Order: sequence, then structure tokens, then C-alpha cells
Amino acid sequence: MVTTTGGLDLQASFETTLEGIGLSPGMAHLLWLPLPMVLVLVAAVVGVLVNVWLERKISAAVQQRIGPEYAGALGILQPMADGLKLVFKEDIIPARADGLLFTLGPVLVLIPVILSWLVVPFGQNLLISNVGIGIFLWIALSSIQPIGLLMSGYASNNKYSLLGGLRAAAQSISYEIPLALAVLAVVMMSNSLSTVDIVNQQNGAGIFSWNIWRQPVGFVIFWICALAECERLPFDLPEAEEELVAGYQTEYAGMKFALFYLGSYINLVLSALLVSVLYLGGWGFPLPIEWLAGWLGQSVDAAPVQVIAASVGIVMTVLKAYLLVFLAILLRWSVPRVRIDQLLNLGWKFLLPIGLVNLLVTAGLKLAFPGAFGG
Amino acid sequence: MTEAPTIAATVPVSNLAVRSVIFDPSSLQLNAAAIAPEGAVLVALLLSLLVDLAGEQVAARWVPPICYGGLGSALLLLALQWNSPAEPAFVGAFLADNLAIAFRSVVAASTLVSLMLSWRYVERSGTPIGEYAGILLAATLGAMLLCGSTDLVSIFVSLETLSVSSYLLSGYMKRDARSSEAALKYLLVGSAAAAVFLYGASLLYGLTGGATGLDAVALALQSSTTPVAALSLVFVLATVAFKIAAVPFHQWTPDVYEGSPTPVVAFLSVGSKAAGFALALRILVGCFESFSVQWKLLFTVLAVLSMVLGNVVALAQTSMKRMLAYSSIGQAGFVMIGLVCGTEEGYAAMVLYMAAYLFMNLGAFACIILFSLRTGSDRISDYAGLYQKDPLITLGLSLCLLSLGGIPPMLGFFGKIYLFFAGWADHQYLLVVVGLVTSVVSIYYYISVIKMMVVKEPQDASDVVKAYPELSWNLRGMPALRAALVTCVIVTAVGGILSNPLFGWAGEAVTGTPMLLQAIAAATAHASLG
Amino acid sequence: MTIASTTQLICFAALSITLVVGAFGVVLLPNIVYSAFLLAGVFLSVSGLYLLLNASFVAAAQILVYVGAVNVLILFAIMLVNKREDLSAIPGLALRRVLSAAVCGGLFLLLVRVAFTTPWALPGPASIGEEATARIGEHLFSDYLLPFELASVLLLMAMIGAIVLARRDVYTSDVITGEPADQGLIEKARTPLLTSKP
Repeated sequence: MVTTTGGLDLQASFETTLEGIGLSPGMAHLLWLPLPMVLVLVAAVVGVLVNVWLERKISAAVQQRIGPEYAGALGILQPMADGLKLVFKEDIIPARADGLLFTLGPVLVLIPVILSWLVVPFGQNLLISNVGIGIFLWIALSSIQPIGLLMSGYASNNKYSLLGGLRAAAQSISYEIPLALAVLAVVMMSNSLSTVDIVNQQNGAGIFSWNIWRQPVGFVIFWICALAECERLPFDLPEAEEELVAGYQTEYAGMKFALFYLGSYINLVLSALLVSVLYLGGWGFPLPIEWLAGWLGQSVDAAPVQVIAASVGIVMTVLKAYLLVFLAILLRWSVPRVRIDQLLNLGWKFLLPIGLVNLLVTAGLKLAFPGAFGG
Repeated sequence: MTEAPTIAATVPVSNLAVRSVIFDPSSLQLNAAAIAPEGAVLVALLLSLLVDLAGEQVAARWVPPICYGGLGSALLLLALQWNSPAEPAFVGAFLADNLAIAFRSVVAASTLVSLMLSWRYVERSGTPIGEYAGILLAATLGAMLLCGSTDLVSIFVSLETLSVSSYLLSGYMKRDARSSEAALKYLLVGSAAAAVFLYGASLLYGLTGGATGLDAVALALQSSTTPVAALSLVFVLATVAFKIAAVPFHQWTPDVYEGSPTPVVAFLSVGSKAAGFALALRILVGCFESFSVQWKLLFTVLAVLSMVLGNVVALAQTSMKRMLAYSSIGQAGFVMIGLVCGTEEGYAAMVLYMAAYLFMNLGAFACIILFSLRTGSDRISDYAGLYQKDPLITLGLSLCLLSLGGIPPMLGFFGKIYLFFAGWADHQYLLVVVGLVTSVVSIYYYISVIKMMVVKEPQDASDVVKAYPELSWNLRGMPALRAALVTCVIVTAVGGILSNPLFGWAGEAVTGTPMLLQAIAAATAHASLG
Repeated sequence: MTIASTTQLICFAALSITLVVGAFGVVLLPNIVYSAFLLAGVFLSVSGLYLLLNASFVAAAQILVYVGAVNVLILFAIMLVNKREDLSAIPGLALRRVLSAAVCGGLFLLLVRVAFTTPWALPGPASIGEEATARIGEHLFSDYLLPFELASVLLLMAMIGAIVLARRDVYTSDVITGEPADQGLIEKARTPLLTSKP
């Protein structure tokens, strides 16, 4: 694990505290390990609840309705009620379905998404694991998802489910390639796959050094592909209600359906977080925190400044991500769904070549202006 | 190898530990000029694909000259490389010694001739021509690089380039069940062979402790005679035998040859096979030096089986393509005699025979392609009485088949006699005797085709010959076919008499190859000791 | 034994068992869909083994290529051609199975024997962990430059070939003479090859 100095290091302080009360370093590490995982899991689930509420409220606002209103203030408890309803629903496995695969499918869809949270940084040291292959791990893990979708589509023994599963898998593998190309251009500029390094490389001059200015095309490609990977409108063909009932989810009920639901929303939040990491400076404040600290006459290494900086970092990351989620929800109500051939055409005939050209141009710019594009 | 300590001083230690290849100082250079001929082929490939975008008419007009240009300049560049000091290129991944140049020339020439035979065939069948040429050129590229690769990874990638393109070419006539069947069979068997090769290569990689260069492999094998080395030998040898279609790894050959488009078969039987032999020389002679007794024994068995089975089963065939498939298995058996000898004459005879085989086999294929274009048949019985209607095919096919059978004064005779002499001088009596006997058998079935064409009276001619169309050469693609046919036949017929320079070149191919010279020297030292 | 090495051992055992059982399932299960899904499990366990060897880039690449591309493609092929057909019984199937099992068993014993009789150089070179990605890149552009570049030709050709074989074709005539053509071999079969055998 690469630990860079600077910024709040919760792990180090936690372990020193435990060692201070007489535990062995190994034991202290072991006690530390589950904490960030549980924390991130909780954060992901809370993120989904917020997301559901936002989706309902914003959709309502777009359509000039009020939306959920009575469950808590502004209907804020409505997502909880939705979740509880799903938990208490009867779990039905259709008689002619393949029980084992039917159960395994949603699990396989959800697990890679949650695993991908490993590499999402909320601060210099505020992530579960700063693995060297960082963003590549996310790309690799997200390629497991189609297997789960195909599995549930097949196991449901329903033609709509099968078609939905096939569509989902086709869409997912088609858009993974331009997505990876867009990421590659960013990686090329930061000379590292690690998400922390990618953010650090963007935080030299606040908002002006964010990747979105250097990679506008890559940003658009990435966002389109991320929406397609999350099966959000305008790319929600796998569950196109008018054609396929609900695609691969048709036969699912209760908690298994909730897993799909959860997976898709966690994926959306995750994608938004990664957009903010890759293109919007991650935890970076629009003005560099060092400048602010210097302007206020404080040392960056002072404990209170560190705590404040870390909190600002988390807030900034989440804020940027939810801004993108807001955008996704607006898009949902303003763009019509594409047809399957249009979807595949867009992916293979437009995004892929543009992604390649973007990569080439980035490489050229990197050679020509090593200062601005990462030497 | 003596320079290794100086390199260790300049290269960081961590680097050495991972690569652990003992580099020559010269091998650290890129030396990209060594693959200039492949570059020419690549340019032709890309140009044909680009031209193909402009439509089928434009492609039919422009793809042939592009291919001629690419392959012609490749051959020219190869000629310029001849006898130049062989320096490792691409940091030890490629070596353009004379052996590689000789085999690459055979591959490039076989592609050139196959393409000249192809145009009319492909157009007649209504399949796109630009992609066809592109895929065939990719196969050529793979085969040419395979001839000179000196690194397990390069060998595997070039082998796969050759194989994948060959599968595609076999199935190119996609509306034909036979073609699809051929492609599927070839794909399945070929993938299995590739997997076996990978397994063997991974064992070799383990033996070297993390290096993939053939010289590192050779070094590791010298010091280790563990079972792993023997196992990897068997695995690698199986793949080589698959590529050169030696019995018992030949089962794919007849079906694939029968179902593939005939010009593709022409390439597979010459170009692909030549690359296979180059691979055999590189790996077996270059690496498995310490196992030479074992692999020579294995190859003796393979050669005897190939000669016997190939030539005997060819007797019973009714389809011309199938007969040539079995005959090519037998011919590979003859070439293996030279490989087993391990003497300078043996290697030279291999090279010479491959060159001779190029012309005589492609000449024969030119004739049967022309015949099938005119009649739509490749059954041997349909050739009855052909001399009345088409003297050119009759003459060409007769000369080429006689040469394949080894009748003097054709080119094939000199090739074969050289092989047998080399074998006899190295005391490979069994191989030579089997070779002689099976040659006689092969002459029987070659002559029976000739008899079918020449001896029949006009009233006994087959139906297709009776309905033979008028000879015309004015369709696009036909002149190229005629030129290829006439060239091959003339070289086959006259080359034997003028074969002295050929002998010289074949000798130079061996003397200009350090790897072979080392092996020969080691073998003679071994013989004088024991 | 430290906590780390115990964990590693447990992971290794779990992954190996998954791998072996999964591989047997791939070969032996009669339902091809199960085989294909199990294949994904096998690939995933292999990638887990790579992780244990501290080769995280290779592990991720394994997942991306084998699970994400190869296996999904296999599943696609199976599900698009999901025609339940009763194949004619193969004569002597039991005997064939016994024979192939014997061959595989023999090969396995041979490999085991070879593996145990070989004096492996242990421990092997130390793993370079996180630097692996950079090192792989260095290799691709130095001593493996030729295969790397050739692989691009290979992939281009595979792509073009796949398109040529898969597309519904527009050419049904000879471009030179305009005669109708059928995209088949010029040598016409007199008896259909595929049905000639009983």
C-alpha cells in the first residue's frame, strides 16, 4: 500500500491509539480492517436512499408534481419505506425457473459494484485501499456484471427476461470499451492508475487544473458510457417497459429485486463519484486548500486544519457526485430512449472512434506540452 | 555470452533479475531494418483494405497490383538482406539469418503465386477480394515472422497470426458447408495445438527462470535434462508436427484441404508448411540440442509414418485436392529426412526441397484451379481425355506431378536425390529406403492422373471435358493465373537442369546461419568424441 | 504462523478447490449453460490466484479479458443458439468416456510426477507488486515490441475476418462478368459432404 504523506491519516492514528493501549500492531491492523469497509457499505446504502429520494423529488419537480410528502419532512423517509416494503415482500421463485442461477444472478450483479467502492477516494488517505491498479480494478470488476445479468435473464425462463439480459450484456460490453479509452486518456496524463494519484494530479491550481478542461471530450464520452453502463435513461433498453415488461428483472420480487435496485443505484452513485474523481478534481475544493490555509495564516499540517480539510474533501466529493446524479435524473426526463440499433451504433461507430482519437490527441498533447498534460 | 558481465554492470540489477536474458550487446538495439520485408507486406495489407473501402470494382482493379508491389518489394528486400551479418533485431525477438531469409522468401513467393492464382477464383465465387488479399497477407506476415522469431512470445504471436488467418481463409467460401466444416475443424484442432504449444512454452519459461529468448531456453536446457524438459519437448514437437501436418498429427489436413478454397490450399501446403519447418529448425535444432537423440528418433518415426501413410492413402483418392493433400503429407515426410540428418547437406537439402516444392506444388495447384474454373470439378476421373481440349493444363500438370514424383530431369528429382544423399551419408538408411519405396508409390498415383489425361481416346473423355468451354484468357485475373502457371511449370521443368545456383544458395542458407553451424559443429564434435 | 500467512493459505485452499471443482464441472456437466457459468467461476478463481501471487494487474486483466469478454461472448453464443435438439446417440459413448478419462488421468499422473521430480529453483524471483504495471509497459515497448505490434495485426485480421464471415453479404455476383455467384467453392460437390456419412 502506497501511503503518501499529507492529509488526514485515520488509519495511522487509529492503530497508534490501539498500540498505545497495549495491542500488537498486527492485532491493531486486524481491528482496523473491517471499519472502512463497513463505513463505505453504509455510505453506499445511505447514498442509495438519498438517491431514491432525489429521484422521486426531482422527477416530481420536472413533471410539476409534489412527490413524496408525508413520510417524514419532504418525504425524506419514503426511500426507507420503499426498502422495508421490499424486505417484507414474499420471495418468489417462478416454478419453471432455475432456482440456483435465479438466486445467484442478482448477487453477482451487486457484488462487483460494491467491491468497486474499494478504490473511491474521499481524501488523500480516506479510501479503503489505494491499490496501484486503482481505476483499472473498477473497469475489470464492472465487466463481471454482465454475467450476472445474463444469468438472471436466463434463469427466469421468460423470453422478456432473456432478451433483457442479452441486451444488458451487449450494452455493457459495448460501452465498456469507449469508457476504458476515456479513462486511459486520463491515466496517461497522470501517469498512474491509482485514483489518489489521479486526483492529486488535478489539484495544483484548484478548479483550473481539473481534468474536465483538459479532457472535455473524454468527459462527455465517459459520462455517456457511464449512463449506459448504469442502464439509465436514455439507455435503459434492458428494462424498456414498453417492449420487455422489465427486462431481466421481470420475474424478480422481494429482496432479490431489491438487490437489482440497489445495484443499479449504487452503480449510479459510484459512476458519479468516479466522474468527479477523474474529471472534477475529486476531493479538491475549487480553491486549493493550501492557499486558503496560507491566506488564513495556518499551517496545513496543523490538526484542526487537517480535520477541516478532510471534511471539506468529503463534502466536495459527495457534492460533485450528487451534482452529476442530479444531471442524470434531469436527463432521464428530458431525453427519449434510444433504439437498440441506435445504441450499438452510437457505441461502436461514434464513441469508440472518438475515444481513440481522443487518446491519440492526448498522447500528442502530452508530448507537445508535458507541463500542462502530465510529462 | 562472454560479454554478459559488462552488461550486468550497465543494466540495473533488478532489471536483470526479471529479464535474466543474457543479452548480446548488439541485441539491445532495435535493428528494425531486419523486418523491412514484413513492413512491405504490412503496407500492402493496409492498402488493400483501404482500397477495398472504395467498392468491389475498384478493389478488383487495384488490389492485385498493390499485392504484387508489396510482395515483390518484400522479396527484393529479402534478396538485399541475403548474406548480410545476422544481427538480432527487436532486442532479441527476431533474427534475420540466411535460414530465416530463405524460408521467408519461400513464404513470400508462395503467397505471391497463390494470390496470382486467387483473383479469378475469388471473383468467380462472389466473395470480397480486398479482405481476401488482406487476410492472406496477414497469414504471410505471421508466417514470415515465424521463420525468424527467436523468442517464445514472438513465436507464439506469429504462429497465431498465421493460424487465425488460415482459419479465416479456410472458411472464406462461407455459403459452402464444406468450407465452413473445414474452417471449424481447422480452428478446433489448431486451437488445441496452440494450447499444447503454450503449455510447452510455459514449461520452458519456467526452466529458464523467467526468460523467453530462445538462446536463454537453449542455455537452460543444456544444464537441465529434467523430465520437464522432455515433456516440453514433446509438447513443442506436437505443435510443430501439427503445423507441418506430419502423421499422426495430420488428421485435419485432408478435410481442410478439400473444403478450403483451392488457392488457399496452395498457400497452406507451401507457405504455412515452410514456416512450420523453419519453426522446427529454430526450436529443435536451436534449443533442444541436448535432446537431439530423442527428437531425432521421434522425427524419424514421424517421417516414416508420414511418407508411408501420405503416399499410400493418396492412391485411393478420387478428388484431386484430397490427393494433393495426402501427397503433401508424404512430401513433408521427405523434407523431414533432412531435418533428422542434422548435417550441413541435410539442412541445405531441406531448404532446396522447400524451394523446389514451392514451384512444383504451386504449378500443380495452378493447373487444378484453372481446371476447376473451367469445369467446376476437381474429381480425378473428370480429367479424362483433357489433352484434346486443354493442352496447357495437361502439359503443366503432367510436368509438375512428374516433378513431385521425382522423375528426372525435373526440379523435384534433384531436390529429392539431394535429400536422399544427405540421409544416406548420415547413415539414415531406414529413412532413405522408406523414402525410395514411397517415392515409387507416389509415382504410381501421379502417373495415373497423367494417364487419365493423356491416354484416353476422345470418346472416352469425361462429360465435363466433352463439354469443355472455349479457352479464353481475357477475363481479369486470368492472365495472372496463366503467368503463374507458366512460370511454375517452366521453373519445374528447366530448374532441374539449371539447379547449380540453387544448390549454391541452399548451401549458403546453412553456412550463413550461425545457429545451424553451431549445431553441426556440436554434432560433429560429439560424433568424434563418441 | 502469522495472521497474514494463515489467511493466504486459507485463500489459496478455497481458490484451488473452487478452481478444480469448477473445472470438473465445466467438463462434466451435461447442461452447457452451467458449464459456461462455471467457466466464469474458474476464471475468477484463477484471477484470485494471481492476486495471491501479488500480481494485481494480471489478475484484473484476467477478469477483464476472460470473464468480461471471453466468457460473456461464450454465453452470448450459447443463448442466441439455444436450440434444444436431441442429438443422435453416439455409439460406444461409455467406452469413449472411459478411454478419454484414462488418457486424461494418465496425463495428469505424468504431470504430477514431472512436477514432483523436477528440482524447481525456489524461491523464485521476488514479486515486484505495484510496479508490475510499469514493468509490463516497459517490456511491451522494449524486448516484446515485435510481438506487441504483431498482435495488433492479428487483432485487426481477426476483426475483419469475423465481420467478413458474419455479415449478410451483398455480393451475389461475379464482379467482373456479372454472373450469379453463390459464395461457395468453385468445385461443386456432387454428393453433399455432410450427409453422405450415415
